[in-house]
Amino acid sequence: MLPYLAKRLLLTIPTLGLVAVIVFVLIRLVPGDPAVVMLGEGADKASILALHRDLGLDRPFPVQFLVWVGHAVRGDLGTSIATGEPVAGLIVERFQLTAAIVLVAVGLATALAICGGLLAAWKRDTAWDLGVVGAATLLLSVPSFWLGLMLLMVFGLRLGWLPVVGYVPATENARLALLFLVLPIATLTLTESGVLTRMMRASAIDVLGLDYVTHARAKGLSELTVLRRHVFPNAFAPTLTLVGLTLGHLLGGIAVIETVFTLPGLGRLMVDAILARDYPVVQGCLLSTGLVYVLINLAVDLIYPLFDPRVAVA
Amino acid sequence: MGKGRGYWVAKPSLTTVALDPSPFRAGLALALAAALATPSAAAVAPSLLRARLNADILSSDPGTRRDENTDAVLLHVVEGLVAVREDTSIGPLLASRWTVAPDGKTYVFQLRPGIVFHNGAPLTSADVVWSLNRYLDPKTRWRCLSDLSKGGLAEVTAVTAHGPLTVSISLDRPAPLFLKTLARADCGGTGILQRASVDPHGAWVAPIGTGPFRFAAWKRNQYIELRRFDRYQARPGPPDGNTGGKTAAVDTVRFLVIPDGSAARAALLRGELDVLDNLNPVELAALRGKSGVRIQSAPSDDLYALLLQTRDPLLRDPRFRRALAISLDTAALTRAITRGEGRPDSGPVPSPSPFYGPVESAPIRPDLAQARRLLTACGYRGQAIKLATNQRYPLMFDSAVVIQAMAKQAGINFEIETLDWATQLARYAAGDYQAMTFGYSARLDPSLTFASLIGDKAKDPRKVWDTPAARRLLDRSMAEADPVRRQAVFDDLTRAWRQDTPSVVLFNSGRITALRSTVSGYRSWPAQQQRLWGVAVN
Repeated sequence: MLPYLAKRLLLTIPTLGLVAVIVFVLIRLVPGDPAVVMLGEGADKASILALHRDLGLDRPFPVQFLVWVGHAVRGDLGTSIATGEPVAGLIVERFQLTAAIVLVAVGLATALAICGGLLAAWKRDTAWDLGVVGAATLLLSVPSFWLGLMLLMVFGLRLGWLPVVGYVPATENARLALLFLVLPIATLTLTESGVLTRMMRASAIDVLGLDYVTHARAKGLSELTVLRRHVFPNAFAPTLTLVGLTLGHLLGGIAVIETVFTLPGLGRLMVDAILARDYPVVQGCLLSTGLVYVLINLAVDLIYPLFDPRVAVA
Repeated sequence: MGKGRGYWVAKPSLTTVALDPSPFRAGLALALAAALATPSAAAVAPSLLRARLNADILSSDPGTRRDENTDAVLLHVVEGLVAVREDTSIGPLLASRWTVAPDGKTYVFQLRPGIVFHNGAPLTSADVVWSLNRYLDPKTRWRCLSDLSKGGLAEVTAVTAHGPLTVSISLDRPAPLFLKTLARADCGGTGILQRASVDPHGAWVAPIGTGPFRFAAWKRNQYIELRRFDRYQARPGPPDGNTGGKTAAVDTVRFLVIPDGSAARAALLRGELDVLDNLNPVELAALRGKSGVRIQSAPSDDLYALLLQTRDPLLRDPRFRRALAISLDTAALTRAITRGEGRPDSGPVPSPSPFYGPVESAPIRPDLAQARRLLTACGYRGQAIKLATNQRYPLMFDSAVVIQAMAKQAGINFEIETLDWATQLARYAAGDYQAMTFGYSARLDPSLTFASLIGDKAKDPRKVWDTPAARRLLDRSMAEADPVRRQAVFDDLTRAWRQDTPSVVLFNSGRITALRSTVSGYRSWPAQQQRLWGVAVN
């Protein structure tokens, strides 16, 4: 196990190196100039050139890249062009909020998917199945911004149960923070549960048709025990892979949800940085997203054999 | 006040949450109240005014890392020697009066006595000298440094204190627009700061100014909180632009960062927001007639235009540009796009300007038959013209769509190219376009508006009008102080603009603000900047 872990961790280095090159090149291929965005439409050419010099944007690209990588390996991702704040600190601060929402929401979505998927598979071709599949398909089809706005309009504006805008960190006031996070977590849970439920149902249907399930039933085990002990562990492995992928892309930022609910998360940071051509922030965000992806995939690979012993960690 | 991680923190924050009294809601409200209960909150209920920003401010250092939101917030905190009046003329602020030397190169300001900074230090001429020298240091990256350096409007050669309340500023040449430049919002109003605004190494800490509010807290991407400055000395008289009557009517102003327009509207309707400024006209329908909300608007000093690249092989022919101008019904376009809140314009002098006279207000009448004749004369055969626009600013995008439809009636073939704002801005700066819908923010003086349009394209490709006559007239308008003579120069510039049609001016937008009915004292104005002094919540 340990050699495998060490090998996988070593492999992250070239992966992140490749991500760094791609990110650096791509953001510079996009038209637009951070100095022009920062100075606005009234800026003259001399001011723009002076700002280029100040920001080091007048240097050749390879030099800029080497300077950035040189600092990045020491944990210094530079400072934001727009605000002058250290990028690493910005990412850590924003990631905490995004991670809290995503982890809770994906956890809830997974729980919903397990229950819904198993129920639909067990009651296949009944009204239960139709209901679960219909709801999952509906949730799959609804854009998150629309669902978020609808929840906000209903529970925030019409019923007045929950706040509409704002955010308080849990470190300052946990109960108030929870109130502000209910709607974003609910939105994300619902939108992500659709695909997970479909996956769980499909896997469970496959497993329910296998001989050992028939054998377990023949032994006189209750249906609940069959589902819990024999169907769930074997059906969950493909869903787990999907959970890993979902976590990876959501931890990279949930910009739409963060914008609708005015949450200062990683997604909004990245979108704002892209619009402002804030190169250090975009590069830092994408590099950290790449790292999160790699680590989550590694975690999923390590957990996978617990559910499917046929897959060994080699 | 102390510096926390990533934000400025102050004493207990006020909650913005108000929940309705049904059983479930009451439960939540109780939980919330328990969560918020602090001895200070229980003892007093300070008045709070909540306004929306569509994006966070870029810094708390006036006139440096800035945008429109940054300027608007910081002008509540800092004040300059002079400021813009309601009618966009210049009035005194920290200076009680000033004199200009006969050669027009030296300004002597007399400071108002008894003014104190937010940290209790008295305002003296030494603070003015220190602040101006800091702005003029290239390391500060002051937005207006290039205007007041060599090659700009005039170079500031010396800032000198003469006693505790007198200060002089010397220029290398006369510059009638000098005071207007000092008062510009994008220059941070050249706000006078106390030295404690920076640390001993000169690094920025926080603004310590003389404004009606002090900078209390900044939670990045969440809110900026300003607190009433009890020792503020307002200039006597009624509210007047950024100059007089600037009394804080609430204890706390909180600027909430709400990027999404729908969420901001919901917050206003729910009562979690008091002032929703800079509304897009398309958002009006969702708020007009709603209970507890009223709408206020004022004409803006901005300019929306169809920019034309006069170096383009097709568009270099003035007959073609003229045909384009008369193929557009700008009155109908303005009505449709601004929902009746904007004013059609036909030249670079904006309609709220005191220099908007009979010459400037004469409309360009649409004439499709004449447009077709001109197009035939210049040999146009329906070649496609790329019209760049963006969706970040709906007025620009909607203008492009309507222009395409109107011009088509005359036989002009526009192809809309939707870009993101940063790309469009880069192409504007490089002059890399055929046609482009574009907006210029309020400049508050026609010379400054013309200056953003006129210039040598070889040196500054963003300029749209590059003729020797236009440049001469611009220089004359910059050097002239007498309003009557300036009016004559602007009339000449407007006539020349119409003759040459280097671009097509479309309209001046309206600044639309939605307010809770409990809010009183709010005034929209042409400078496009929300002002929350004198605004109360009942």
